[in-house]
Amino acid sequence: MANPPLPSDDELIPRLLASDENAYTQVVAAYHGLMVHLARAIVGDAIADEVAQEAWVAVLRALPKFERRSSLKTWILRIVSNTAKSRLRHESRTVNLGDALEETPIVDPSRFKANAHWANPPAMWHADTPDALLASTELRRCIHEALDALPPLQRAAVTLRDMQGLNMEDICKVLEVSESNGRVLLHRARSRIQQAIEELEEK
Amino acid sequence: MPSCKDITEHGSDYLDRHMPWWKRPGYWMHLLVCVHCRRYIEQLRLTIETIGRSPDAAPPVVKTEEVQQIVQQLKQSAKKPANKPRDI
Ligand SMILES: [Zn+2]
Repeated sequence: MANPPLPSDDELIPRLLASDENAYTQVVAAYHGLMVHLARAIVGDAIADEVAQEAWVAVLRALPKFERRSSLKTWILRIVSNTAKSRLRHESRTVNLGDALEETPIVDPSRFKANAHWANPPAMWHADTPDALLASTELRRCIHEALDALPPLQRAAVTLRDMQGLNMEDICKVLEVSESNGRVLLHRARSRIQQAIEELEEK
Repeated sequence: MPSCKDITEHGSDYLDRHMPWWKRPGYWMHLLVCVHCRRYIEQLRLTIETIGRSPDAAPPVVKTEEVQQIVQQLKQSAKKPANKPRDI
């Protein structure tokens, strides 16, 4: 579904502040899907729509105080992320949001020799393009399950970077993490998906 | 030169060009001589592309009626500043 191009932030923000219905419609049409996508990554499918709607109300309430240190889009996604994180905290006491500082290695240490070189190196995969990999129903399901099993902030990082194509600087603003933690979140997430594909491809 | 384990720990930094300039030559030299790490990095690159094309990668499509419904709710809440939503 192609929406007409969105006006610049300079044009949109005053119109939103003036409660211009057309401007509301334009930003909701442009960003609501991305917001639900991000909310799903953090809180799961069941309450993602609700979180995104709650975030809209917060966006309009906070807009007069928006200092323009990022784009409107990045700022809106940050509000979604904060709304989602606070929902998670409300709903369970023992949430491990991102395990960015978790010490587990990227690759199972038993696959390396004592000198940290490969003992059990990666094997060839059957497929060597995304399309060839995704042709398999089993592989699509396996990627979906591996994404599902990621800690929330890792899933959010991979959603923003590899699915929505944001740059690292914006991702760190959205998730309120340092640049180095953001990169760790992303690499852990990708590595777990890689591992899931590997397990299937090496069968 | 980094070990194979170092290569796997920083694969995304290498592919995303987030690696500090002074680490790149050692990393690159390792890849030149280590067929296993070349495969590992190639598979990481393939994984990233595959994630981007998987069915999960597409944001949900929002129907026009849903957009309208949200806009109406926002108009309501803009009219009633006293009715404050829950703090985030
Ligand atoms: Zn190596």
